[in-house]
Amino acid sequence: MPAHRPAFPPSSPCRRPAPRGRWRAAIGAALLGLAAAAPAAAQAPLPTIALDARLRDDAGIRLGDTIAIAATPDGPARRMVVAAFARRTADPSEVARAEYKVRLHLADLQALLAYGDRVDRFAVVTRDSGATDRVVAGINARAFGFRAHRSRDIAVETGRTFAVINRFHRAIGVITILASAIFLLCIMLLRVEERRREVATLRLIGLSRRTVVRAILVEATAIAVLGAALGTGLGWAVSQVVNRYYQGLYRTPLVFSLVTGEVVALAVALSAGLGVGAGWLAARRVVGRPPLALLGR
Amino acid sequence: MRVALAVASLARHRTRTALAVAGIAVASAMLLDMVMLSSGMRLSFRELLDTRGYQVRLSPKGTLPFATEATVGDAAALVAAARAQPGVAVVAPNLGAQLVAPRGDGAVTVAALGVEAGVQGDYALREGRDAAAGELVASPAALAALGRRVGDTVSLGTGWDPQLRAFRELAPRRIVGVGRFYFLGADQPVVAMPLADLQATADGARRDRISSAMVRLAPGAEPAAVARALAAALPRVSVLTTADAVAQADERVAYFRNLAFILGSVSLAVGFLLVTTLMTVSVNERIGEIAVQRALGVQARRIVQQVVAEGLALSVAGGLLGLGLGLVTARYLDAILGDFPGLPPDIAFFVFQPRDAGTAMGLLVVAGTLAGILPSWRAARLPIAATLREEAVA
Repeated sequence: MPAHRPAFPPSSPCRRPAPRGRWRAAIGAALLGLAAAAPAAAQAPLPTIALDARLRDDAGIRLGDTIAIAATPDGPARRMVVAAFARRTADPSEVARAEYKVRLHLADLQALLAYGDRVDRFAVVTRDSGATDRVVAGINARAFGFRAHRSRDIAVETGRTFAVINRFHRAIGVITILASAIFLLCIMLLRVEERRREVATLRLIGLSRRTVVRAILVEATAIAVLGAALGTGLGWAVSQVVNRYYQGLYRTPLVFSLVTGEVVALAVALSAGLGVGAGWLAARRVVGRPPLALLGR
Repeated sequence: MRVALAVASLARHRTRTALAVAGIAVASAMLLDMVMLSSGMRLSFRELLDTRGYQVRLSPKGTLPFATEATVGDAAALVAAARAQPGVAVVAPNLGAQLVAPRGDGAVTVAALGVEAGVQGDYALREGRDAAAGELVASPAALAALGRRVGDTVSLGTGWDPQLRAFRELAPRRIVGVGRFYFLGADQPVVAMPLADLQATADGARRDRISSAMVRLAPGAEPAAVARALAAALPRVSVLTTADAVAQADERVAYFRNLAFILGSVSLAVGFLLVTTLMTVSVNERIGEIAVQRALGVQARRIVQQVVAEGLALSVAGGLLGLGLGLVTARYLDAILGDFPGLPPDIAFFVFQPRDAGTAMGLLVVAGTLAGILPSWRAARLPIAATLREEAVA
């Protein structure tokens, strides 16, 4: 191995940009090409490779093992030493992809693919956002045959899948809220109806309709807030279960369900609002009837 | 008589009953949607794979068809060997690649499929004819991206050479048809051309190579048995039956199936709770009435049946309303998920089957029946004299 080419650090996620395009061919081939091989010859160090940590778990490969890897299933294989295992990054676009990823030094991959002195893309780090705009404009104006894109523009494009998922979740949320609103209204109506004799008595001893409505509203608010608090706790617990389950299923550190302050505030506001609204409607309905009618006379 | 009593009891509190039915309808709509979602993708994907009657797929060893850019060499020999296998009727090889066409200051990238026109199963012709040498069939999205129509000629190359500052292997090809491509997104620019034409690109790097092949079986042949024989005869490829492909796709969309299960369960629980609450309150309100019925000689069993009938009536009414609502919301949700980039046009997430409606209704009926049992059992076991006395005092 040339002195200027370091081995992959045998820990932590590899930070190289995710390769695509023909890279994928190598990954697909890697599934086939990986096989235990004879120990590397001492006098000719083999190139190093970083493997997907899932592959380590599935194939029982260890650091220092030598594997054979080919660009195509029937292509010539090259032996490499496993120098690192890379954990999957929390990238939503990779969640449903089952194939393993391996990382090679650029020159090794170019040689394996007979790709020549070519790359698919460059990643450029700029000093600040102003410099980014200047660099993008400069490259696009001068570098004939190249096209520069801001990372955030690419993120928007690749985020289209998740925009669809978000819309789907939002639609499901609206249906859930509708069902909850009807459920709450029904429960509040039942609670108030159940106490119609009590309400009639309060009215008969001189309490105004407004006072009765307010009393019911206070009760409805208390129930709604208590329910919202319990729901928040339950939601947090469910969120933990969901994350554990999907992280295990997809073997990814990606967080699937995130309970933020904003989400809690929205849930509590919605529950409280719905509860109070349902209570108010139910109260208006019961105080609109004469007290004696409420007593069944 | 029991049904009439149950209906009368529900009609006594119309607002409450209407709200309960509405709540159950929304829960049942969600339940139906989730039942449809849980099986819809599998069904839809299976139908997509079966569109042209190809039951087995071959792809480079260790890969899924078109999941990577891997190809397999000695394709002619491979296809010939596959065609020679017993039970194999047709083998349709194909090669996938990307081509570019200069347009204005930039270039348009299109997905290209190399196919054998007589046996291909990748697209259906919508207009024109299949492509001969030097010709291609384009998707509507490709025509739009290229700014061309049927009959026009378009120059396609294999990439950009920054050193020469020119497109590599730029060659004119005539557009002779418009196709609807089954396995690629409706918004994806794609062209199909003779396999030999595409194999001749990339400076010979694609010569005699294919990305995958589809196999149609002879009548009566068993896909699993033919797949086993193909796998044994062709060690360089992975052999996948439609059932295997559906199972693999199932793993990828486990998120939606799990979501469907969770939301379906929650919907059922909400419906159950709603009916239970309503029936409990309803029975509590009618304690005196039930005690009188019991005092008059009505059997406890009859009381239980009447209360259960009420719960059942609510569930059935809400469920029927929910079926219609569920179909409308399923269409809306399917339209949202249909916007997934690259999704084949024939893939649907929510597929209605009468069995799904039956499952949703059946679950609701069971939930409604169970929801009525506990309150009715309590009502039927009330001590008659004590209850009558308490009610009279109240």
